[in-house]
Amino acid sequence: MSQVTRFLFLAVLLGAALTPQVLALDVDFQRSIRPILSRSCFECHGPDSKTRKAGLRLDVPPVQHPANPPLLVPGAPEQSLLYQRLTDVDPEDRMPPRDAHHPLSTMEIELIRRWIEEGASWEGHWAFSPPERAPLPEVRNPDWCRDPLDRFILSGLEAGNLQPSVEADRARLLRRASLDLTGLPPTLDQLKDFLGDDSPKAWERVTTRLLAAPAYGERMATLWLDLSRYADTHGYQSDVERPVWPWRDWVIDAFNDNMPFDEFLRWQLAGDLLPDPTRNQRLATTFNRLHRQTNEGGSVEEEFRVEYVADRVHTFGTAMLGLTTECARCHDHKFDPISHEEYYQLFAFFDDIDESGLYSHFTNATPTPSLRLGDDENQRRIKALTDRIVELESIGTTLRARAGPKFEDWLAENPRLALELPDRQGDYRFDSIENSLIPNHADPEKPGQLGAGTEVRSRAGGGSLQLDGDNNASFPGVGEFDRTQPFTISLLIRPDSITERAVVIHRSRAWTDAGSQGYQLLLEDGHPSWSLIHFWPGNAISIKAVDPLPAHQWSRLTVGYDGSSRASGMTLHVDGEATETQIIRDNLTRSITGGGPGALTIGQRFRDRGFKDGGVDELLVLDRALSTLEIKHLHDDTTLNNARASAPGTLADTHRIRHDADHLAHLAELQEARRTLAGELDSTPEIMTMIALDEPRTSRILERGQYDLPGRTVEPDTPEGILPFPDDQPRDRLGLARWTTDPRNPLTARVAVNRLWEIAFGRGLVLTSEDFGSQGSIPSHPKLLDRLAIDLIESEWNVKAMLERIVNSASYRQSSITTQDKRRIDPGNARLSRGPSNRLTAEMLRDQALAASGLLVDTLGGPSVHPYQPAGLWQEKSGRTYPQGSGDALHRRSLYTFWKRTSPPPMMMLFDAANRDVCVARRGATNTPLQALVLLNDPQFVEASRVLAERSMDHGGSTPDEQIAHAFKSLASREPTDREARLLGDLFAEELAGFEEADARLLIGIGDAPTREDIDPVRLAAMTMVCSTILNSDAAVMRR
Amino acid sequence: MMRPPDDLDVTRRHFLSRLSMGVGAMALGSLASAGRSISPGQIDHLPHFAPRARRVIYLFQSGGPSQLDLFDYKPLLEKRNGEELPESVRKGQRLTGMSGNQSSLPLAGAQFGWKRHGESGAWVSELLPHTARIVDKLCFVRSMHTEAINHDPAITFFQTGSQIAGRPSMGSWISYGLGSENRNLPAYIVLVTKDKGGQPLYSRLWGSGFIDSRHQGVQLRAGRDPVLYLTNPEGVSPERRRRMLDRLRSLDAEQFLREKDPELAARIAQYEMAYRMQMSVPEVSDLSDEPDEVFDLYGEEARIPGTYAANCLMARRLAERDVRFIQLYHQGWDQHGSLPASIRVQARETDRASAALVRDLERRGMLEDTLVVWGGEFGRTNYSQGALTANDYGRDHHPRCFTMWMAGGGVRPGTTYGATDEYGYNITENPVHVHDLNATMLHLLGIDHKRLTHHHQGRDFRLTDVHGRVIKDLLA
Repeated sequence: MSQVTRFLFLAVLLGAALTPQVLALDVDFQRSIRPILSRSCFECHGPDSKTRKAGLRLDVPPVQHPANPPLLVPGAPEQSLLYQRLTDVDPEDRMPPRDAHHPLSTMEIELIRRWIEEGASWEGHWAFSPPERAPLPEVRNPDWCRDPLDRFILSGLEAGNLQPSVEADRARLLRRASLDLTGLPPTLDQLKDFLGDDSPKAWERVTTRLLAAPAYGERMATLWLDLSRYADTHGYQSDVERPVWPWRDWVIDAFNDNMPFDEFLRWQLAGDLLPDPTRNQRLATTFNRLHRQTNEGGSVEEEFRVEYVADRVHTFGTAMLGLTTECARCHDHKFDPISHEEYYQLFAFFDDIDESGLYSHFTNATPTPSLRLGDDENQRRIKALTDRIVELESIGTTLRARAGPKFEDWLAENPRLALELPDRQGDYRFDSIENSLIPNHADPEKPGQLGAGTEVRSRAGGGSLQLDGDNNASFPGVGEFDRTQPFTISLLIRPDSITERAVVIHRSRAWTDAGSQGYQLLLEDGHPSWSLIHFWPGNAISIKAVDPLPAHQWSRLTVGYDGSSRASGMTLHVDGEATETQIIRDNLTRSITGGGPGALTIGQRFRDRGFKDGGVDELLVLDRALSTLEIKHLHDDTTLNNARASAPGTLADTHRIRHDADHLAHLAELQEARRTLAGELDSTPEIMTMIALDEPRTSRILERGQYDLPGRTVEPDTPEGILPFPDDQPRDRLGLARWTTDPRNPLTARVAVNRLWEIAFGRGLVLTSEDFGSQGSIPSHPKLLDRLAIDLIESEWNVKAMLERIVNSASYRQSSITTQDKRRIDPGNARLSRGPSNRLTAEMLRDQALAASGLLVDTLGGPSVHPYQPAGLWQEKSGRTYPQGSGDALHRRSLYTFWKRTSPPPMMMLFDAANRDVCVARRGATNTPLQALVLLNDPQFVEASRVLAERSMDHGGSTPDEQIAHAFKSLASREPTDREARLLGDLFAEELAGFEEADARLLIGIGDAPTREDIDPVRLAAMTMVCSTILNSDAAVMRR
Repeated sequence: MMRPPDDLDVTRRHFLSRLSMGVGAMALGSLASAGRSISPGQIDHLPHFAPRARRVIYLFQSGGPSQLDLFDYKPLLEKRNGEELPESVRKGQRLTGMSGNQSSLPLAGAQFGWKRHGESGAWVSELLPHTARIVDKLCFVRSMHTEAINHDPAITFFQTGSQIAGRPSMGSWISYGLGSENRNLPAYIVLVTKDKGGQPLYSRLWGSGFIDSRHQGVQLRAGRDPVLYLTNPEGVSPERRRRMLDRLRSLDAEQFLREKDPELAARIAQYEMAYRMQMSVPEVSDLSDEPDEVFDLYGEEARIPGTYAANCLMARRLAERDVRFIQLYHQGWDQHGSLPASIRVQARETDRASAALVRDLERRGMLEDTLVVWGGEFGRTNYSQGALTANDYGRDHHPRCFTMWMAGGGVRPGTTYGATDEYGYNITENPVHVHDLNATMLHLLGIDHKRLTHHHQGRDFRLTDVHGRVIKDLLA
């Protein structure tokens, strides 16, 4: 394009736009230029190498990425490719392309021109450089400032010729800080105390009190629960309950104890990896397990497991780093320096636990890994019982050594062992099956059951089962062993084809749908594997044969277990010989018998891969461990006959197991001790936590983020562009946690302090508190943000101290009443020329009503509760009935309300609470008619209005005006004005005159809280209407 | 007792009157549009082009209806009934864990009669006699496909464009994009068949994700409180509520004089809207003004609140009142086993009313600008899950092909689009992905699906993610 046409085009383009406004453009790169490039250019010329067009990138300094003609020629926009392409007359060539839907405005193009003209200075994205401590800015009115932070605010105001607002009146200030720091309005006494406290330290006393209140921890926890996607149910599909509230209580305590915030993060990320971790350090890691989980039948386990790990990365990124990592799950991030590979390097940190993608539908097993949560007494009992078992086990060893002489005596009298094995529960030969009943030669009362379509083939003069993968035979009443019971199962088996997985025999309800709870003998690629399972894979013992079973021939497979809950107590014999095995899992701590009916079954299991194409015969089930000799005898039918001659030592063992009274008594005692311990363990609650695997998993890049498209392997690592991973740290979550809270990490402290700011001012210094990346908003006061971040770090991450500074500042204490002018100049109050004003959150609105009426039950922590909820909401979605509570449960603080993800409390959702499906950093604050309906009609607000009316009539004074003022103060934390008092007085008079007694009784009968019989129902109803009116008014709904 | 007004009342009255003039309305969401001229909640430049449909009625059949027993006739399956699904057809594609471990996958022919219907000659099985009669008004898509294979992710995908929770539902996008056309009713209303059971539903399916919560779907329920918290507490009459709201308004006016916060005006307007909803919702929910012939059309079941038939009729009433997006859910289509018996029940519950809705809209002249959509989250397999017997079979989830139909709102009537192979397993022509369907639905509403975006966490999100294409062949 010639210079002339370009000039003509620009003349048209700019035309009327060359106003003083344009000429006064701010061409600061961070503030003005980078956001334009990020929004309109990075998608094709940014970090994503796969979609990068023409090899050009605008997210790094142009010197790193030369182009011809040069992208930027400082001082010469006309010679800069960037500017040329933005202004190309040919619409087809002009950037950005029209179909990208991110055009630059005339003003923005002019900005770019001016920026290039002024030297095209380049900086990296602000949030990825470490914060720097700027000197305090000079201000004209330093006396206004109470804290160094005020200097930054004031300097910004002065630069814009704005004056700060006057200090808010005391009542307003008290209400504001009480709600911000504790989520509750001040009590009338607190209000009175503060209004009457003349000392210069009165305000500081208030803030100290608020920060020391237990309610502070509850308020702070509520915010963290949104980020942690905390909920009381699993979230997908049938969405059943999972008790994770002990973690929520830990969060409350951590805030109340003012735990240093870096430690708070480190424990949650990697408490399990700290040296000799405490119970609370391990409990903190539940943070990583709060993602949704599914139990939907038929789901692909790995698909969902990958989803969970991705959710951990997403939550970590947003909550701790203020970064949108999830963009890089499928491809390089379009805007921020996180490549596809780096995403999976982060992913690898969180892909380190022994978990399943499906939780158990049929049992209530806690998805592994998990932590036992007993109290001290319970821990003590477990320790004592465990010690006792260790002791008994060592006695067993001694007894064995002493058994020799007794054996010799016995041998002299009994030259032969009985060949028929005692202690059989089941002995099935499949020879004479009638009416599908399989005779049990050990217990004729308990025959086996031949499944429909199961074929019996002749073998060695009798029958054998022929299996096709879907058919089966089951053996009710036999083999119902718990994990303290020694037992043995033996059968003949002939696999005719080798499959990846084949269920030979098991006693369990189902595979993944029951977490495999029970015991099972499988063939995996032909290798026998033998397992006892509470929840697969994390709570189980399992061994697997090194060699496969031969195909097309009969083998005798005998598996045994000694009742110890240890893999070393499991045996696997093929044709009478111990076969070499590997230990696959060795952690069984809970019951193997839950999940509902499930008889011992051969050949098939619910939604599992059955034993396809093979035969089974001669099944024996015994309720004790067998001796080596007995096992061998099962195979060859002759060993015991020749036993004395061949191996007298082993025969001694056999004798002991069968006949040694001392041994049998000891065994019974040991089993009893184990049973007691098991009972204790089974009744101890558990919670999901992180426990890093000893052997790390291999993590791979997933193409397009899909679980079934694994690419090359990656090692755990952090994004280079943020802070290189320290050489001296382990490449695990603990290293990641230390990297995250490393003072050199440019994001963590900024993100944390920004949230604290947001608590007080309703908006962060970075508005997008969820995104500090390229596409996020830039800070309103960057130097202040940096300074506070550094201060936070230097204070050893002292959250209370930072909040105290903020609420003590002059900036916070400003009145929110303002002029139209200021509203016009700064509608969102980003510059803070006035105090904050915000609608109460969902939790605050409900808690305020409960507190004002005196209904609030301020118990700290405990299981979640089920307060009032319109009937039928759970029912219509999933057929479950909402178990509405009674008494105290109706009036606890809202953060204790049971959170069912697929049907959350509707009142909370209508007031913009986060859904808790995924990490949410910032809630909306909408204003809708449905909210009006809640505050007007929801029984919990009607009840609170009535109880507040009762209380006001009791304590407010003798006249209606005094009573109304009492109610008003309780909800709005200030005296009503004369006019307000008159309006409400008129309303009371109207209502008093207008209520029929019957109607009045209906209204005041709402809610479980008993209605006062000693108050005239019409007066109470009228006052209830007054209280409800106040509760719905701006004075109660807002904190200003 | 009542005191006379003072001078300040003039200012107050002025404030209050300005409120009703629409100062408040400026700040309102879709729930509180002040009329058609302003559609607050509607974002700039929308619609992008002239819409063909002004509203949507989405008849969602939750669970995954069997296309092979309803619409997609496959004689070959009847012929080869019981034979193993050939590997050349399955091509190793993934199955769910429910039938994926079966040792055999026997093909299962539909055990129902089939006929071509209407001038268009569309195949419909005997299960849907009423639908069969209106095929010339319908546009069948036989080549729908989706990515998810389990209910929760699949239905979430259909309704929000993502299998991962947290995104806005389609109705929310449309409320956000186009706003409301009715000042007394929400723009996005959800109706669930009562006491149906089956695969669960989740409120996130009509949630607004990261868009303002004012765009979330509002469930209209059978019973005393058609909208949650709509009804005044017992003992509070409408007159008493009115008086109270008047005093509340005066109280807030006091506060406004002090605070000068425009948000206050908005809140007062929301209370007025709430009051209007207390009238308009019971009015729309009360079917007693419908003549008998309407119940002849929809079926007697339509007299029972909360049935699918009653909800279809309700959908028509809401459409008449210009509610923008009306979402029905009917559960129970998840026939893993005993399909022949239970699909009959499903068909009986839905067939007549679905067809009646289309006919009713047409005779009222509303079909041309009302888009009706019928379908579930995926299809079902051509092989039997569990044992195949002489008169029984089940079908597992099948995301690779299934059938939906649309009517009105600018879609081409009497059309069948797309085709599947003779096994009914794979698509052979004109595949339509969920994103394509959603893009096409938005297109009919005058929205370019690539330009209806919401900035969140550093990125412009849209219903169709980075996918979707408008299927022009479906447009009239």
